[in-house]
Amino acid sequence: MPWQRGTFKKIKQIPSEEHVFPGTALCAGCGGLEALRLAAKVLGDDVVYVNAAGCFTMLAAYPFTPFKGSWLYTTMGSAPAGAQGVRDALDVLIAKGRLAKDENLKVVVLGGDGSTYDMALSSTSGALYRGLDFYYFCYDNEAYGNTGMQRSPSTPYGARTATSPCSLQHPAGTMQEKKDIFEIWRAHTPPYIATVAPRYPLDLEEKFARAAKFTGPKMFLALSACPTGWLYDPGETPEVAKLAVETGLWPLKEAINGSVTHTYIPKRKPVEEYLKLQGRFRHLFEPARQDEAIQHIQERVDTYWKQVNG
Amino acid sequence: MIAVRFHGRGGQGAKTASRILGTAAFLEGFVAQDSPIYGAERRGAPVAAYTRIAREPIRERGLIVHPDLVVVADASLIPDPAARVLEGIDERTAVFVNSPLTPEQFHAQGSLPGRLTTLDLTDIALQQFGKGGAISALLGVVAGRLVGLRQDSLREAIVRELADLSLAASVIERNQAVAFNCYDAVRPVLVEAVAPQPIPPAQLQRPTYEPPTRGTARISAAANSVLRETGGWRTFRPVLVPDKCNGCWLCFVYCPDGVISMTKDDKPVIDYDHCKGCQICVHECPTDALVAEREKEGGVAWRAK
Repeated sequence: MPWQRGTFKKIKQIPSEEHVFPGTALCAGCGGLEALRLAAKVLGDDVVYVNAAGCFTMLAAYPFTPFKGSWLYTTMGSAPAGAQGVRDALDVLIAKGRLAKDENLKVVVLGGDGSTYDMALSSTSGALYRGLDFYYFCYDNEAYGNTGMQRSPSTPYGARTATSPCSLQHPAGTMQEKKDIFEIWRAHTPPYIATVAPRYPLDLEEKFARAAKFTGPKMFLALSACPTGWLYDPGETPEVAKLAVETGLWPLKEAINGSVTHTYIPKRKPVEEYLKLQGRFRHLFEPARQDEAIQHIQERVDTYWKQVNG
Repeated sequence: MIAVRFHGRGGQGAKTASRILGTAAFLEGFVAQDSPIYGAERRGAPVAAYTRIAREPIRERGLIVHPDLVVVADASLIPDPAARVLEGIDERTAVFVNSPLTPEQFHAQGSLPGRLTTLDLTDIALQQFGKGGAISALLGVVAGRLVGLRQDSLREAIVRELADLSLAASVIERNQAVAFNCYDAVRPVLVEAVAPQPIPPAQLQRPTYEPPTRGTARISAAANSVLRETGGWRTFRPVLVPDKCNGCWLCFVYCPDGVISMTKDDKPVIDYDHCKGCQICVHECPTDALVAEREKEGGVAWRAK
């Protein structure tokens, strides 16, 4: 049976109230900010954000903050540990009667893919293991963006980054496959995991609304198309996100207590359409077409969906 | 030594222009140094890049405080204190501004001292490429012309630097052609090396440490980021054609910065003080009710209230 959205059925149900205010120094056309803004429409203002160093450092560049709630800054590897501290402090205050139960706050980790897939992997694993009651929001732009697009374990095969250029030895650029963080998280069986893409706002909002019902780790992986690093015009951010989903490269799915459901089944356009739009893949098409590399990317997507569709 | 400082907005190509200039100088046998300012480079945010060219080894490092030539890619940066365009400029500094205004008009405004020359590179890029965003080759070649570098070395430098950004060969060729139109079109002004400024001996600063409760930066305000206006980041502004709008809300939903709100009768209202000009709303509007219009000279500058 296809996945049904219970709460968000129409675009005009998206709350008009804003919870991430403008004036941040994030890039024009930032796909990560687009996803966070939509997520915050469900999360609201009663939130403590625990922000790992990354592009989102620019959210609250001193002395300005775009949030009405709190924001705590941590190193790249320790945001989930910071979240544990905040959660414990809130629980202690509530237990002692110094904070009313209805003034409880949500604890939300914000981490980029460099943090999530790489440096904070062990502290995330620890938080998942302890069943910490928190949200994890990964804005995944598939590289260390804030420092100038160096390869991260989220960078897909064939993408060119500052540290995985296309060379005679490695004509395709990045030779490694993107780490499957969804499955790594799922191996810990948290109550809720979801992938989202801001180009599919109702799917995104619905997943945040669904996650609210669970106590424990609520993990989100948000596709964050990145004009600066992926090299396309900022106005094309939704188009790039759309093609990531429609080609099957970015599956929209959720896992409740480890059980996976795909929330959208794309008709699956050829991956070329997605790759061609971005400068980071241009070497696969010019000056000479690298058929083998393109074919490799297509085959991996085909294999994935073959498993999904049985 | 000739010291050249580039000012632009992230994405315009100031950094690459500085590299083109440095590489061209190197190819002609000069010693060259080029570096962008390291920091939070952001699309649309003010960025700077520095190129030093000399016959002898360059001992100087870091930011260029006393430039001989300043290349301004976006005139809206001039009044922006964060961009520090005017720093170290006097009447002997050569200044190039990408602008439709003439040097006389700038002098009349009294906003810029120095030996001014201008050319509307954005307009040339719009005419020739159909978009006015990245103008690195144009800026680099204009700077090269002003400091007296040859066409052949600039041509080679464009190939090297743009190929490094993995641009297609056809795009690079097109950039070269348009850039050399600018090479011929820009009115040269004298660029001369100013005498090096004496640098006072450094004083050792001993930092004092505070406990975390006092020593950690804290913001005790809610949503005060709105005090920072990012409207000056735009090269183009989205403008509503009310008759065409079908009230679908998509522009409001997809705007990353949340600067579009909907009225009761489902028409978008754009907060131009904060809109960064990414054009997502223009791209996504299903009825073409939002169109991109080029920002007029001296639009809203980035400023903190």
